[in-house]
Amino acid sequence: MIEVIDLVKHYRASDGSVVRAVDGVSLAVAPGEMVGLLGANGAGKTTTLRVLATLLKPTSGTARVGGCDVQNDPLGARRHLGYVSATTGVPDRLSAREIMRSYGRLHGLSEGLLVQRIDDLVRALGLTDFADRPTGRLSSGQRQRVSLARALIHDPPAIVLDEPTNALDVVGARDLLHLLDSLRSEGRAILLSTHRLHEIEHRCDRFVIIHGGRVVAEGTPAEILRAHASLEAAFFAAIGQTEVPVGVPGMPGERHHA
Amino acid sequence: MSDPHSRQADRSWRSTDISSTLAVTGFQLRRMLSRQRLLLAGLGVIFPAAVMLAVRRTVPAGLDRDLAVTMIYALVPEAVCMLGLLVTMCPAVADELERGTWIHVSVRPGGRRALLVGTYLAAVIWTSTVAILAAALAVFVAGVRQPWPLIGMLMVLVVLSSLGRGALFALPAVILPRRALVASVGVALVVEYLAGFIPAVVNQATVSLRLRSLLVSWMNWRRQLPVEMQLLIDPQPAWVQITAVFTLAAVLLVAAVKILEYRQFPPSTEI
Repeated sequence: MIEVIDLVKHYRASDGSVVRAVDGVSLAVAPGEMVGLLGANGAGKTTTLRVLATLLKPTSGTARVGGCDVQNDPLGARRHLGYVSATTGVPDRLSAREIMRSYGRLHGLSEGLLVQRIDDLVRALGLTDFADRPTGRLSSGQRQRVSLARALIHDPPAIVLDEPTNALDVVGARDLLHLLDSLRSEGRAILLSTHRLHEIEHRCDRFVIIHGGRVVAEGTPAEILRAHASLEAAFFAAIGQTEVPVGVPGMPGERHHA
Repeated sequence: MSDPHSRQADRSWRSTDISSTLAVTGFQLRRMLSRQRLLLAGLGVIFPAAVMLAVRRTVPAGLDRDLAVTMIYALVPEAVCMLGLLVTMCPAVADELERGTWIHVSVRPGGRRALLVGTYLAAVIWTSTVAILAAALAVFVAGVRQPWPLIGMLMVLVVLSSLGRGALFALPAVILPRRALVASVGVALVVEYLAGFIPAVVNQATVSLRLRSLLVSWMNWRRQLPVEMQLLIDPQPAWVQITAVFTLAAVLLVAAVKILEYRQFPPSTEI
């Protein structure tokens, strides 16, 4: 459902130098599968997800959503994809229903289908209590749920989420991840990037760890955790760092200067 | 999970494009109905009338019709439209592009085109409505004879001003979203009020020349104008001026849409 093959994306920085944000990343997400895309800031996660969302053009390589190539058939890719970012970008003055209606129209959904779809999403995502309230009055967790509803308005078979729990508290994050579980059980392919490793340790079917724009580890939780006590330990090992920061006084990794 | 793609297959992309654009227009108009924007709209409606009232008080015998029309023209199709578009078109597009909403619009089929054209239509509707009300109020306050034909003429000028200048402000909004307002003020000053008053080929591509020429033509002022002032208008018929504004708006909008469609927005953390 989601395929990335040997994806390369270079940027030209303001000083004229070339930045290799993504340098040969390959990954795949099957229907009914949730894959965690892990990496430090600047590792290339957001660039990879934005290429899938047709927001960026790849320098080389292939990215497909629902079999549609993001470069040759971006409209097809967009029709198959729901995209959720860390910044919800939901306008404060509009209600969840109004936002869903506007975005449903962007997909050309007929009025009857749109009403049905909004009702379904309000029920499924637990928006009933605040669906008609301006989103400016909602908590960050509720706003992120509205953002998810907006991403699902056209019933996409694939969902890409870029650090969706970043601004959420523990309860909000738990609720959102539960929703993702149920979306996976409906057969949707989910690709999720996050820094909160503990939240997804027992949730994802597979993990892909990227560092410096390259895939440095990939596998099922059992494969990734085989030699490590936790996902965090496996992550640090994959990116070549220790769990304990170097130079913190009293810690084993502290450096002593003469 | 149903397949949405078969459901959509029978809907042509053209109709989807139109409905997407109208969705963005409705979306932006609802956002413009905030207290601050409505207050701004109220000020826009009242300001020209207040100026006309102040001027009228200084002339007990009543304002000369031509002078009143010139003042209302300068205040409404020029000033109110320009300011209205500056506060609607530029911040709306720039906000969408820079504050994250654009991502969610852009990942929809035809989203970028719909975002720009829909926002443009919303800005034109909002500005035209405010400016038409302002023009009507100013005409009545000025106490001009035969007000209705004058209001009709000002309505056409207001709509043309909004259509042309809205498209003109679309370009800085997509090229420099972080400095959209400043860039648009620069464009307004340099293109509309500097180039527009240079009697050369360069002013042919400005909205201000077209509006001035229409005003002079419809008010039958051409023969009264001194020779040097006649250099600042285009003597061609009204349909040429109107076609020129529509053509200019279309060219500018297509350019802005193309720039937006090809523009990439990389995440700042990964550059």
